[in-house]
Amino acid sequence: MKGRLTAYAGYQLRDYFATRALPIVIATALASWGFAAKRGVTLSDLDPTGGIDARERIQQAFELLLVIFAFVAGAAAAQGLVSRHRSREYDRVLFSRPISPVRYYSQGFVLAGIGGVVLATVGAEVYAVAVHPVSLPGVAGYVALAWVLVGGLAFLLSVLTVFHLPLLALVLAADLAVDHYMTALSRVGVGPVAATVQYLLPPAHVLVALRGVFARGFLVDPRALAWPVCYGVACIVIAVVLLRRRPFRS
Amino acid sequence: MSTASDAGPAGAGGSGAGAVIELSHVSKAFGSPSTSSPRALDDVSFRVAAGEVGGISGPAGAGKSTLLALVAGQLRPSSGSVRIDGIEPRRFVEREGIAYLPQSMSLPGGWRVSDALTRLAVLSGVRPTYTKYRVEACLREVGLYDDRRMRVRSLEGDAHVRLGLAQAIVADRRVIVLDEPLEGMSAQSLERLRDLIVRLRAFDRAVLIASRDTAELQRITDRITLIERGRTRRAGAARPATPTDTETVFHITLHQGGEYVLAVFPTAISLGRSTYAVRVSGFAALNRGLRELLDRGALLAYVTPAHAAVESSALAMNEVGM
Repeated sequence: MKGRLTAYAGYQLRDYFATRALPIVIATALASWGFAAKRGVTLSDLDPTGGIDARERIQQAFELLLVIFAFVAGAAAAQGLVSRHRSREYDRVLFSRPISPVRYYSQGFVLAGIGGVVLATVGAEVYAVAVHPVSLPGVAGYVALAWVLVGGLAFLLSVLTVFHLPLLALVLAADLAVDHYMTALSRVGVGPVAATVQYLLPPAHVLVALRGVFARGFLVDPRALAWPVCYGVACIVIAVVLLRRRPFRS
Repeated sequence: MSTASDAGPAGAGGSGAGAVIELSHVSKAFGSPSTSSPRALDDVSFRVAAGEVGGISGPAGAGKSTLLALVAGQLRPSSGSVRIDGIEPRRFVEREGIAYLPQSMSLPGGWRVSDALTRLAVLSGVRPTYTKYRVEACLREVGLYDDRRMRVRSLEGDAHVRLGLAQAIVADRRVIVLDEPLEGMSAQSLERLRDLIVRLRAFDRAVLIASRDTAELQRITDRITLIERGRTRRAGAARPATPTDTETVFHITLHQGGEYVLAVFPTAISLGRSTYAVRVSGFAALNRGLRELLDRGALLAYVTPAHAAVESSALAMNEVGM
């Protein structure tokens, strides 16, 4: 069984680059352009010859780009896998083969993670040559972390529902909103409740906060990684258990 | 294929007289056990032995696809047992694989025909050196070789079903399960399918085909089980029609009151879309039956004499679980 799935890995990786890479890049570019427009950043602000301030602005712009790419690539890691197969009934033909649905989907998910890291690293290399030096291991590590957290949650939700992408966006936005308004919520006396809710939500705010450390190639405190990594791994484990129990839609 | 009643007690471990596919008192209900949802299958038993081609017939919604999904390991029975070679179907499929054509054959539309078949051959474990040859042979077998560079979404007519057949036979499997392979087939494709079924017969292979087309099933299978509303109506050898039958078969189509048909014509079989084949001993008996149907509140739409051959032989099959 392993041999058959290993032989099929090339097709899954090819599918990732053929069907998901371009949409990820386009979505990242559009979202980045939207954020930049909202903050009033123009291309002339990103001139590397403009001194320390300009270089810092360039670094922050890259970090913004990295965060958006990491979230989009993480969300796309489970796209086209379980829920799409079930809703379009591709699973019926695929899993009459002597392969395990759990291994097939898990392999597809892992390969999507690898694809995302490769895509980010190549993009960062191009950026480093053309615009401003960045830490390639840091970029790769950050995208891998987003794959574990955002991708792991997307994988779990795709096992549960066909509406996994809107649901994923909702819970990630909820976490970022709770984090953003935490001070205000504490002021009106619901701080403890908000903190409890935030522990249940995926720690997207932690991922966002870690962007600078990774992008600048600083040493990362393992304790800072524990929450997002544990949350993502837990989602992946639950997804695998659910898939084992119910590999098909019906 | 035989029913549990005439095949003796269900054996395990593939020991039951070479049985390969075996269903024993299988019921399947969808939804939670607390809800009283109707059962898609209710106490169905049969087996398909090695070397046999079995047929499942019945109208739309009778439970044929549910039954085949159970055999393919894609559903689990609510009660009873399904075994292939004595083991649970999902385990069998993951170990050996089966040739399965689902009713709604669906593959990603962007894949090209030959690419789709190559991928599925790889997943089936076809040896890399043999894959190209095997894919081309299957495409020729189903008449899709000239369309091999087309995208799946561009296929028209019965080409989807033919691609489904090609993917099912791309690897050599001992268990073949085909759900409505006759649906929408052109005359030429049907002829090709008949030839294919003949070639698929092998001493160690069990073939199970579900179709609404009882007549065609009788031509290509050894035994047929008729199911209706999830229950086995009849099962028996798919023997040719007996020209000595003195009785006549009529097709009656009702606008309403289908639930009274069996009470009035106990040997009627449903052909789907509120049409029933009824066997009567003459016009007088037919008119008596129709009068009784109308008295019970049925609304008659059509009555047409049928060419009795196929239905007579189907009706002559052993009755089960009535």
